[in-house]
Amino acid sequence: MFTYYFNLAVRSLRRNVVLTALMIAAIGVGIGASMTTLTVFRAMSGDPIPQKSRQLFAVQIGNWDPQTKRGLFGSPDNLQPQLTYIDATALMKAHAASRQTAMYTTGFALTPPNPDVRPYQVQARATYTDFFPMFQVPFRYGGPWSAAEDENRAEVVVISTELNDKVFAGANPVGKTLNLDGRDYRVVGVTEHWSPTPKFYDLNNDTFGKPEEIYVPFTRAIESQMLTWGNYNCSGDVGEPGWKGRLSSECVWFQFWAELPTADAVARYRTFLNNYASDARQAGRFRWLPETRLRNVREWMEYNHVVTTSARILVLVSFSFLFVCLLNAMGLMLAKTMGRAADIGVRRALGANRHAIFSQCLMESGVIGLAGGVLGLLLTALGLAGLRALLSEDVGRLTHFSVADVSIAAALSVGAAIVAGLYPTWRATQVQPAWQLKAQ
Amino acid sequence: MEIRPILSAMRRNKVGAVLIALQMAVTLAILCNGLFIVEQRLSLSARPSGLDEPNVFVLTNFWVGNPPDLQARTQADLAALRSLPGVVAVSATNSYPLSGGGSSEGVKLNPEQKEPTAITALYFLDEQGLQSMGLKLIAGRNFNADEVIDKIGQDSQVPPTAVIISRVLAEKLFPGQSALGKSIFVQFQKHTVPIVGIVDRLQVPWVEGDSWAGSFNDNSTIEPYHFAATYIHYMIRTQPGQLATVIQAAQKQLYEVSRARVLEKAVPMLEARSNAYQDDRGLAIILMVVCAALLAVTAFGIVGLTSYWVAQRRRQIGIRRALGATRNAIVRYFQTENFMIAVSGAAVGIAMAVALNLWMVSAFAMQRLQIGYALIGAAVVLLLGQAAVLWPALKAASIPPALATRGGA
Amino acid sequence: MLKMTHLSKAYRTEVVETYALRDFSIHVRQGEFVAVTGPSGSGKTTFLTIAGLLEEFTGGEYQLDGENVRGLNDNQRSRLRNEKIGFIFQAFNLIGDLNVQDNVDVPLRYRGFNAAERRRRIQEALGRVGLSARSRHYPAELSGGQQQRVAIARALAGSPRLLLADEPTGNLDTQMARGVLDLLEELHRDGATIVMVTHDPELAVRAQREVHIVDGQVVDLAAQPRAVAGANVANA
Repeated sequence: MFTYYFNLAVRSLRRNVVLTALMIAAIGVGIGASMTTLTVFRAMSGDPIPQKSRQLFAVQIGNWDPQTKRGLFGSPDNLQPQLTYIDATALMKAHAASRQTAMYTTGFALTPPNPDVRPYQVQARATYTDFFPMFQVPFRYGGPWSAAEDENRAEVVVISTELNDKVFAGANPVGKTLNLDGRDYRVVGVTEHWSPTPKFYDLNNDTFGKPEEIYVPFTRAIESQMLTWGNYNCSGDVGEPGWKGRLSSECVWFQFWAELPTADAVARYRTFLNNYASDARQAGRFRWLPETRLRNVREWMEYNHVVTTSARILVLVSFSFLFVCLLNAMGLMLAKTMGRAADIGVRRALGANRHAIFSQCLMESGVIGLAGGVLGLLLTALGLAGLRALLSEDVGRLTHFSVADVSIAAALSVGAAIVAGLYPTWRATQVQPAWQLKAQ
Repeated sequence: MEIRPILSAMRRNKVGAVLIALQMAVTLAILCNGLFIVEQRLSLSARPSGLDEPNVFVLTNFWVGNPPDLQARTQADLAALRSLPGVVAVSATNSYPLSGGGSSEGVKLNPEQKEPTAITALYFLDEQGLQSMGLKLIAGRNFNADEVIDKIGQDSQVPPTAVIISRVLAEKLFPGQSALGKSIFVQFQKHTVPIVGIVDRLQVPWVEGDSWAGSFNDNSTIEPYHFAATYIHYMIRTQPGQLATVIQAAQKQLYEVSRARVLEKAVPMLEARSNAYQDDRGLAIILMVVCAALLAVTAFGIVGLTSYWVAQRRRQIGIRRALGATRNAIVRYFQTENFMIAVSGAAVGIAMAVALNLWMVSAFAMQRLQIGYALIGAAVVLLLGQAAVLWPALKAASIPPALATRGGA
Repeated sequence: MLKMTHLSKAYRTEVVETYALRDFSIHVRQGEFVAVTGPSGSGKTTFLTIAGLLEEFTGGEYQLDGENVRGLNDNQRSRLRNEKIGFIFQAFNLIGDLNVQDNVDVPLRYRGFNAAERRRRIQEALGRVGLSARSRHYPAELSGGQQQRVAIARALAGSPRLLLADEPTGNLDTQMARGVLDLLEELHRDGATIVMVTHDPELAVRAQREVHIVDGQVVDLAAQPRAVAGANVANA
């Protein structure tokens, strides 16, 4: 009966091309609009590292006076999203997690080997070697530097595959040197293309920005007095001027992540943090007991409001648009159904029960849904291209259409058509055979 | 007009009428709020920065390595740039409006205050600073040469000798009085600083409307420094019409002075503006497109469903004509019917618009919708309905009265 | 085959209750060709729709092919309609979208026959009515008489126990009407049970016997080939 109903549906739709086109257009346009915004929304709010998002935790320590006005410098609560040098290094030293890394965003001036090419800026991340296994960064050549090199403040770097293509023409550069900020750094590894969206490990500096092209040991960056290219917030007297002042102050500019694979490990780390805070208070560093916080990747993204207001507004508006399109489609389907009540009456007289009529109409809705879905997918591609053209590069990175998105679009489209067709289909099943025939 | 018979006829097509009314309601709700958001974003991106934007551009310089003689290099750069033809003034600075990055501090009137009286952005500029940015001084004076001291690196804690502040900040700190000559504490400084000048307008570097910076958008303080750092911005103001030429010349000149640097692509202030507000403008455009599409879809829906009703009532219409109704009467019948549906749709729509806005106010900290938007939206939707129903109504009017005499539906 | 005893059908509005059929009894035996006549508004169309299980009735009993139909739900009625009854309407009621073959196919689809069985039955039915050559044509391409014959083929394809015809020649000119009636007589000779509703006495003559309805009640002229139009002859 499936093929029978399918044939009937196609025939019936073909009979009134204009009406069918309008119905398909209504569904298609609605799906196009809503899938466009939904794709961006899903990219923004999706879990960038689902296999590990519950094991990676961002650390916060309330090193600022909790009496300071809330939200003064962009924090949704009293805690700063970044850490001081004192805390970052202390936590690293305590090694209370199986894997951990302090890091900050910075950059180099790269002087290319070719003297005709001018030096250019490259964004970098100063981090410890645990960063790479923690965030599952894939490597193309070589690998991360060793823990010993972290200790020794070695002048080594890991570079991105894009940078490798630019400087070394894509060949294996392990062992070669790069002139960064006037010094030679040895390349120990090249990552594969890695661009988590959003950049969950550093939401305070460049949420949807381009990924870094160079990774340098944290200790090396501090030794070279590399300033942060990210947010740098201070409270209270900075104390000493200059670089030493930065390191000894309560200014925050570091991110700290710990890998805590079990609930047990999480509990133990929480205890450790609380002890650390109360020890600091005892030692006289704070006049208050600092709050501490552990947030896993998803919680961290929520806390930092990764999904922008604009994205939410757009999703709301586009789904309302879809709703209006569905109402439209429903009206058209109703008109069509009531227009062939006689047809339905005959079939009922010939022995079709309500279920058969229901199936027949449902099939028509389904066919329209499929066709609408195809149109919707085309319009979504168009819509995403439009977004890319209109909005900034950062948002552009969010407009990639995955297989999951295509399936969602198809399901949404067929579902929408069926929902729009539900009332008209129900009306069709209510057609009494006798009444229709008597009216002849 | 025959309201009651129209109403009772509509009762037979309840669902269709509800569908149209609902479409109009949702369209109205989205239209009102959408246009409101568009207006907000566009007015956000129209805020003046205070600079002479068409004639100012920024060259961002990044020295390779950590050269020890930063101040000498910076002065050499400034001298080279100032010598170029077409250049009005050049200053080295830490940040500029619309750049998205900079420093901010709290301002106190006396040191015992717990909370600062106001937050301000900080700009480090020398005595050519006002000229380089094209700022308008409305009270007091520019810095004297002896007031401008060296500041090497962001971390050097040399206190400023004087400040020039923006008008909005002055009013916030000293409401109703002149701020000239008064002294302030810039957050963690131990000594006060006298205010020697007030500029009409100077925006902070951050542009996001809904961020923390939105609340102090025009509070700025200029501190007199010869600023030098590894990463520094050169603000360059040109004679009118000379921007493009100077940009070329400036980059060439700086590379001749020294190659051991990274010069970012020159950013004219107008370009900085469009970059800064790109997403706001983009959102506004998208919302306008969607609103237009909503209106179109609703209009098509009205045309479609009304055409169906006309077809359904062909015989009835023919009978009316046979009984003496004019074509106009038929058209007016359908227009009245549509108007009644539209009015109920609009009523529900206004309620939806307000509800939607209230929700957005609480969820996204948006502003409240002004009633004017709701009324304009309702008018638009009503007119749309009347326009859309015209075509099927005219078709109905052309149904011949002879139809009444022929049997059958 | 078709047995109604003391059947009544009432239509209730808010104000008044009208009886389309009142204390109506009829017994059509297998193999009979019965004409049901009466003036317009007499209730003969109502009788047909109830007989065809298209409508429910208020009181009395109706047995179709030995099965009591009171209290059957919509699914059961549809199935019964599909298996036991063949309809022939005044307005043919063919589905314009479908060609002749597919029109005859419609009730077979709801029966659940497999493709081969359906093909066989369609061929046989079209052969019976003499339209095998037109199986691919669309109703719009056929004359009125041909369309009615397709409708008859459709009614026959499922091997129904009972053929119900409502003014089968009402929309046809004299010549086509004659052709259709000849076909009906032929089917009767081959053993079909036919109940034909008509207001035309000339048509009623061709049937085996006539049942006359006036104001919802039967005036049965048993075993009389001649109909007495309009006469108010009461009978038990």
